[in-house]
Amino acid sequence: MRQDQSIRSDRVEVEPGEAPAGQSSIGKTPWQLFWRRFKKDKVALVGGVVIIALIVIAILAPLIAKMVGHGPNELFDSATNEFGLPVGPSAKFWFGADRSGRDVFVRTIYGARTSLAVAFLATGIATLIGVTLGLIAGYLAGSVDMVISRIIDVVLSLPLLLFALGISAACSVSKNGCLHGLVQPGLRLVVFIIALFTWPYLARIVRGQVLSLREREFIEASHSMGAGEWRIMFADILPNLAAPIIVYTTLIIPSNILFEAALSFLGVGIPQTTPSWGRMLSDASNSQMFTYAWWMMLFPGLFLLITTLAFNLVGDGLRDALDPRSRR
Amino acid sequence: MRRSPKGSALFVFGVAALLIATACSSNNGSSSSSSPSGAVKKGGTYRSATSSFGFVGDFDPVGEYTAVGFSYYQMLLRTLLNYTGQAGAAGLVPHPDLATDMGTVSPDGLTYTYHLKSGIKFGPPINREITSSDIKYAFERIDSSSLVAQYAFYYDGVIQGMQQHSGPPKNISGIDTPDPQTIVFHLTTPTSDFPARLTLAATAPVPQEVAKCFTKPSGGYGNDIVSSGPYMIQGADQMDPSSCSTIKPMSGYDPTSHLILVRNPNWDQSTDNLRKAYVNGLNMSIDSNVDDIFNKISSGSLDGSFYEIPPPTVLQKYSTDSSLKPYLHVDPQNTTYYISMNLLVPPFDDIHVRKAVNWIIDKSAIQKAWGGPSTGTIAGHIMPPSMADLGADYNPYGTPGNQGDLAKAEAEMKQSKYDPGKTGKCTASVCSGIILLNRNEPPWTDAEAGIVADLAKIGINVKAREMESGAAYQTIDTVKSGAQVGISMNPRWGADYGDPNTFAQPLFSSDSLIPVGTSNYSMVGMTSSMAKKFGVSYPAGGVPSADSQINACLPKTGQDRTTCFQGVDKYLMEDVVPWVPMFWANQVTITSPTVTNWAFDQFTGFIALQNIAVSNTATP
Repeated sequence: MRQDQSIRSDRVEVEPGEAPAGQSSIGKTPWQLFWRRFKKDKVALVGGVVIIALIVIAILAPLIAKMVGHGPNELFDSATNEFGLPVGPSAKFWFGADRSGRDVFVRTIYGARTSLAVAFLATGIATLIGVTLGLIAGYLAGSVDMVISRIIDVVLSLPLLLFALGISAACSVSKNGCLHGLVQPGLRLVVFIIALFTWPYLARIVRGQVLSLREREFIEASHSMGAGEWRIMFADILPNLAAPIIVYTTLIIPSNILFEAALSFLGVGIPQTTPSWGRMLSDASNSQMFTYAWWMMLFPGLFLLITTLAFNLVGDGLRDALDPRSRR
Repeated sequence: MRRSPKGSALFVFGVAALLIATACSSNNGSSSSSSPSGAVKKGGTYRSATSSFGFVGDFDPVGEYTAVGFSYYQMLLRTLLNYTGQAGAAGLVPHPDLATDMGTVSPDGLTYTYHLKSGIKFGPPINREITSSDIKYAFERIDSSSLVAQYAFYYDGVIQGMQQHSGPPKNISGIDTPDPQTIVFHLTTPTSDFPARLTLAATAPVPQEVAKCFTKPSGGYGNDIVSSGPYMIQGADQMDPSSCSTIKPMSGYDPTSHLILVRNPNWDQSTDNLRKAYVNGLNMSIDSNVDDIFNKISSGSLDGSFYEIPPPTVLQKYSTDSSLKPYLHVDPQNTTYYISMNLLVPPFDDIHVRKAVNWIIDKSAIQKAWGGPSTGTIAGHIMPPSMADLGADYNPYGTPGNQGDLAKAEAEMKQSKYDPGKTGKCTASVCSGIILLNRNEPPWTDAEAGIVADLAKIGINVKAREMESGAAYQTIDTVKSGAQVGISMNPRWGADYGDPNTFAQPLFSSDSLIPVGTSNYSMVGMTSSMAKKFGVSYPAGGVPSADSQINACLPKTGQDRTTCFQGVDKYLMEDVVPWVPMFWANQVTITSPTVTNWAFDQFTGFIALQNIAVSNTATP
């Protein structure tokens, strides 16, 4: 595989003491080395298991809801009293009910779908844009680099939350949203906003790495063999960036989950009928409902905490394993 | 009222005796122990807080069109006619205030003559007697378009010579002031509710020497209102009216933090039999944390709430604890909360779909979202009981427990062209992706899930959009952007004064269809030529109109008028069906034991600040 050769050309170094004594260090692929290091990081492994469990829960959410017998938007008259105040955790409503009389357990499970979908989609788009622009800027340098770098500066200096609020307000007014329907209110808008504000971080990191990589001998060799610029960028340089991209993408995911929660908390983007942890937290804080219905805040909050923590732990573990030199 | 983000509307007519009974259940006598021998003690300050003033006209009486604004004006301003500041039907009957009597009307109904009481002076720093030209000047301000008089339509075209113009206030030919104590209005057409229009704050006397300095509402006269009532803005006596450049905003009003009113030394109780003016002043501060407001009332550092809806937790506490119950005041406001369907937008251009929606909506769930029965009465029709009472029995879409009826909704849907397969569900492609507009604040958001689920039961799949209340109103009060929205649950409407027409013409007449700023959100009475002019598409089946029914009522008076508007309500409910009326709101006010005399003003729909008494010794 190409990646193997390229990475080897750049950064495979056998760390002293890593190969068991008395054994000759047989050529291990960088991925094998990575896995060996990662395996030792129990905390990161636990994080990984939690993430996998959350993904499974998210995928199986409709099935779980069916087993419980409550839909995410099903209203139960019995779940609120005459003042409209919700009932707490019980055999029927494991996590209690919310102000509209919906099952908080089922909504929390469904909330994982929203959070993970937004996080992966937005991060995916941001990575795609960030890596492409970072590569181009770093490799082509000169005026192209200047233009892209200034765009990055501009986007990074925008007041993020205010701008996000503005976009979602503007795009919510018309039926078809913004940009001829490409950006529609709701989930799509939230993904768009998050991606818009996340790609510059990746682009900067990639650009910096490319700037140093492009002076390396193997790039010169590629050049002398007549490889085209695009080929060098994407076939020679990009594979060498796999490690930082994976690490930063993993670290961006939890911050994007929180970003989605913040946007939903502020009541922009995701409508009330789409279960989302941020939105559930905001419902709980409206009228200080949490002072009465603590379950409305505790469960979605707990899931949000666990999810972001798990992604952060895995991200840290990945960084340590992929780039041992950066170990603190 | 419609633009009011928080304060809803004003009042009404003939509140049913039953409602009055419920309304009064928690007041007057309850705290009599602190007012020995029935005599209410003067003094103290009503200390309250509000999450925001929510003003829509920068507090300038010419354009301020919120019921909360009107509440403060009841302390600050006097008009030719006004109200007694009490709950129930009696609170909606105009009485002479600045005028000596109810005025005289010419036999043709076109000339109204009023005489002013003598010896009534403006508050500091003006201190001179109020004359009829000060009232005329208020009308002249209404027509200066830069001052944005939001309810000018009550006067323009009604009083001779009144119409909007740019430029400063100028003479109106239809208002005569033969002497300083007399004012004569010449009307273009007999208008039986004209006296009620003279109770609104825009018609209160304005001293030209101060107001001439202000040509727009923003940063204008709202900061320097010269009092004619029992109270004035604190610091009014410090204002220097000698020239426009020396007039600075009075210290007692800051739109971002407080409104402090103190006694007007020039007010004389003997000239005013409408206001008791027990308290020495008002201290209203801004506290964006509603829960904090209710905590402070409970601890006694505030005397009571204002317009904020108590959170359900607070409602439950005060409703179930018998020691707290006397401090919970529930008064019918006669405001209708409703779901509006846009008659231009498929599938709501089909009356069968609109009727099916009326059948399916679970109104009891909506009531719960608002905090239960104390927050309002479930509405069976459009006009609140006090406007033109059709009675509780008239409920053309009534269902058991008000929980909606799927069978009846499906039967209605089967007759619709959008259900060609007669499945009882809306199956055409237009039935999906409809925009449902909502506010982005509780309790509106709490009610949203139920409405979305109800609509889905009959195949109407909506996308909910939530906006800040002002933005939501602007979306549907602009015909073009409103046409993007099929159904909206954000609006509410309250009458401006005690006449059922305030619940008819502004809401359902084609006269009120204007490109921007309409309150006819359902587009009732839209014609194809108007649609072309506004740039919106027009349904093939046309749009029903209520114009002839409404116009037939306008010349009528007395019981005839009431009966006629009852007919309009019926016609709208059965033959037009623009709304799903949700409920008629109650104002729920929480007070602390320091409030020794509770009073509710039916006109404003809020606490009667001019008639309450407190036992504290706080100074404003």
